[in-house]
Amino acid sequence: MDERFSGPGAWILYAITIAMMIFILSPLLLVMAVSVSDSYFVTFPPEGFTLKWYAKVLQDRDFIDAMQLSILLALGATIGSLLLGVPAAFALVRGDFFGAAAITGFLLSPLIFPALVTGLALLQVLSRLGSEDARLNLLIGHIVVTAPYVIRTVLSSLLLVDENLEDAARTLGASRMRTFWRVTLPQIASGVAAGGLFAFMVSFDNYPISMWLANSEYSPVPLVLMRQLVNVFDPSVPAMSTIIILFAMAGVLVLERLVGLRRALTV
Amino acid sequence: MAAEIDSSITQPRGRAPAFGLRLSASYLMIPMLAFLAYFFFYPALRLLFSSIQTQNSQGIVGPPYTLEHYTRLLNVDLYARVFWNTLRMSVITSLIATILAYPVAIVMVKSRPMVTRIITLIVIAPLIVSVVVRGYGWQLILTNGPKGLLNWLLMSLGIVDAPLSILYTEAAVIIGSLHVFYPMMVLPLASALGKIDPNLEDAARMLGAPWWKVFLRVTLPLSLPGFVAGFTIVFSLTAGSFVIPAILGGASAIMLGNLIEQQIFVVYDWPFGAAIALILVAVVFAVNGFSMWLLEGRRLRRPA
Repeated sequence: MDERFSGPGAWILYAITIAMMIFILSPLLLVMAVSVSDSYFVTFPPEGFTLKWYAKVLQDRDFIDAMQLSILLALGATIGSLLLGVPAAFALVRGDFFGAAAITGFLLSPLIFPALVTGLALLQVLSRLGSEDARLNLLIGHIVVTAPYVIRTVLSSLLLVDENLEDAARTLGASRMRTFWRVTLPQIASGVAAGGLFAFMVSFDNYPISMWLANSEYSPVPLVLMRQLVNVFDPSVPAMSTIIILFAMAGVLVLERLVGLRRALTV
Repeated sequence: MAAEIDSSITQPRGRAPAFGLRLSASYLMIPMLAFLAYFFFYPALRLLFSSIQTQNSQGIVGPPYTLEHYTRLLNVDLYARVFWNTLRMSVITSLIATILAYPVAIVMVKSRPMVTRIITLIVIAPLIVSVVVRGYGWQLILTNGPKGLLNWLLMSLGIVDAPLSILYTEAAVIIGSLHVFYPMMVLPLASALGKIDPNLEDAARMLGAPWWKVFLRVTLPLSLPGFVAGFTIVFSLTAGSFVIPAILGGASAIMLGNLIEQQIFVVYDWPFGAAIALILVAVVFAVNGFSMWLLEGRRLRRPA
């Protein structure tokens, strides 16, 4: 411990910190514990041990379909936001145009706009256009909210790139495209990867956009889970939730490995 | 060939060849701008437009123009209550998050790297778990009657005799929102605290200030930018939430988001739904604008 950081004040801070860690983890650990409990209704203390709810979930057509849809949707949103976001971030840093700050603000504005309203507004326009395919509508809606994350992470790693290296490559005769692929991209690779992974996770968890654009045939995982939770009593909900938690944890660990979590979130 | 290379070396940076590069780099912006303009900006304007129109009996939205939907939210008692409840729950959530975030952020900044890493991981990890799952976890904890975890614990320990009823109240929504948005307060606060020169705190301590006075007179004022940023994010996200009040609030503690969903999917009243949505946007923008005014005008003393 830092020597400046001791005394009664420090012990109070440590106690509160430990309490908050318990507060943060308890609902997740509880869901995981209940998912292997052998009773039809959730009771405390949990009784027995079983994996039957997992077996049930893995045969649940609705859940499997939703999982497939969610993964494909998240992949699509990731690819879409990388294709749109990386060039845009590059243009913001290397381009030379009027009002770059205002444009940055505009591109990042979906991050402060309530997502619920973004989805509602999009629903209105898409139904006016007669766009009936829920999968396409979901993809568009997800890209609106995931692309700003890519722009933000790529922007901050582009600012660290040494422009002289690009100039050197150009001077030595490399084309613009080649310079980008061989010189710029390797330097921002971790930012691009973090942005992409972030886009994937944001899309995978998204509720407030999906709730407007999904239909009964095509519903992503969070919507299916919510339906099971609110409308019908389903004892396999804890197992479904645990699968989602483990999926998310895998993502967190990859992100932490890739760039470090604090940097990925605060930049 | 030699002459060509020579000329490009002697070109001052940012002149002719570089200008070509810059111009073409700017074009890379167009797809993203076009996409957001069409699927974000234009829909938002359309929504604004339909909120001042009227819906006829066939469900078609059009003229005459009216502000009646906006006044309805504030004049009809049922709706006004949801509006004020949303504001109150969001403010309370942000305040509690602030109070509970300071100790953790301070520990994060002052501890050994290993401890910081573990705390960061625990604070951030749940952020990536679906809100529905986290709401469900809290539902299990707060369930009314002896079957909820909290009631079971409190009763087994003999702290209470009869089960508490927390689920489906505002308190449940605040607890759930706190869990969901707490990281958004800790992270900006930790980054603001990390920028404070530790010598300032040392100086105060050497001059004889007790730890709480060092906090109040040195640490707190210097960390205000992080607090403002965190408060703004937590407030905005709580005010715009749907899932947590739907799972934990039930019918008695609904928020603006749930009201919008009802108006669109149950009542099919598009103009009123749009008006509520825009009032939510206005509230969020007002808070964000105020915080930007505070931060950018350097009205708060920033850490150097």
